[in-house]
Amino acid sequence: MELGVHSNERVSTLYRKFGTAIYSRCRRLLKDDALAEDATQEVFVRVLKHIESAPDDATALAWIYRISTNYCLNQIRDRSRQAEPTAPDEMPEGDNTSPEVDLLDRETAMKLIRRAPEKLQEVAMLYYVDGLEQEQVATTLGISRRTVINRLQEFIDRSKKFVSRDGVA
Amino acid sequence: MNALLSRGHLSSEAIDLLLLAALPAPEANEAKQHLDGCDDCRARWQQLNEDKQRFEQFVFARTLPKVEARVAAAREGFFARFKLKLLIPILGVATALAVVATMGPGTQTEDDLYVGIKGAAQPTLEVFAVRGAGGVFLVTAGVTLQPKDRIGFMVNTAGAKYLMVASRDGAGVFSVYHPFGAQQSQPVGPTKTKLELPTKVELDETLGAERVVAVLSDEPVTAQQVEAALKADPKNPQLPGVRFVATEFVKVAP
Repeated sequence: MELGVHSNERVSTLYRKFGTAIYSRCRRLLKDDALAEDATQEVFVRVLKHIESAPDDATALAWIYRISTNYCLNQIRDRSRQAEPTAPDEMPEGDNTSPEVDLLDRETAMKLIRRAPEKLQEVAMLYYVDGLEQEQVATTLGISRRTVINRLQEFIDRSKKFVSRDGVA
Repeated sequence: MNALLSRGHLSSEAIDLLLLAALPAPEANEAKQHLDGCDDCRARWQQLNEDKQRFEQFVFARTLPKVEARVAAAREGFFARFKLKLLIPILGVATALAVVATMGPGTQTEDDLYVGIKGAAQPTLEVFAVRGAGGVFLVTAGVTLQPKDRIGFMVNTAGAKYLMVASRDGAGVFSVYHPFGAQQSQPVGPTKTKLELPTKVELDETLGAERVVAVLSDEPVTAQQVEAALKADPKNPQLPGVRFVATEFVKVAP
């Protein structure tokens, strides 16, 4: 951590203010209360310096989204490396609709995102789950809108293959 | 960021800002109207409020001590680096110090003492001090510094390419603190986050008020130019294409 000095009162105030947004996000991504609680602490410590230097709450939230998404996706990846095979009830439900349509459902998007390559996960999360526009995703991640579009297209293509291969769409 | 609706629904940002009461009134009203008519968004809003209740009732109190400990540990790391940096320049000039003196009407603050470059992020200057073997503390209004205290700096350059931290003490003596003794501002990496500057300064015996300024620009600025600008108008120095961010201190005898 680069930033070294905060008063406890300041830390407490910022934690109370932004903790809910972090906790809620971690809880939704990790689907585990205990893990979400741990993740909330970790994410807040990591995001603190950005919050302090953010000119407004929207900018602070952008950092929270970026850092909490990265952290939680890493946690999910770590867990999946030691994990057992995915239970059938965790897989997307098949209904013969296209992945593009399925992705309008945040929960389905989450299931597909967990199986996507790392470089696609963050973009897909911000676009499909958080409902940010492509330009907003680009700004949040510090990449070009063209890159966002390309990664979203790759995510859709891979999701189609995944759904076709596993016969769930 | 900040778009209220995205593909027919409230974005996560809009909902989070609504919970933070950080949306302008018209947008907040629009968001609430949307919630009334959208089951999906209303469910997300309710979930967020449940999470807020859970966080505030249970998680916050349970985890705050751990968070504070983590931040304190990082602070200790900062202190350790602070103390280990033996290249502490000892100023031969009055280095006034800390605690933002109470500013009277018309006195500029850190937020309004900018020159040039409109529309960019706002730069900041924070001063930290160490006294004896004690811990580091932030120099804020009401904090008084003493001779032999050591001070360090954290600067948000807001994307500026060149940086200098300079000082003009109560006797009008000009010094360049960072890079220490330099004749002109030095390049800094492109960043819009805070930088902990390696330079630490030990304060001398001179008492009184001192104004420390971060000098930010996209082209190098000489110490002579900065000194002249501070001499001409200590509270509102001006140079073309240069931003000044200032903190005012008072140093007193122990």
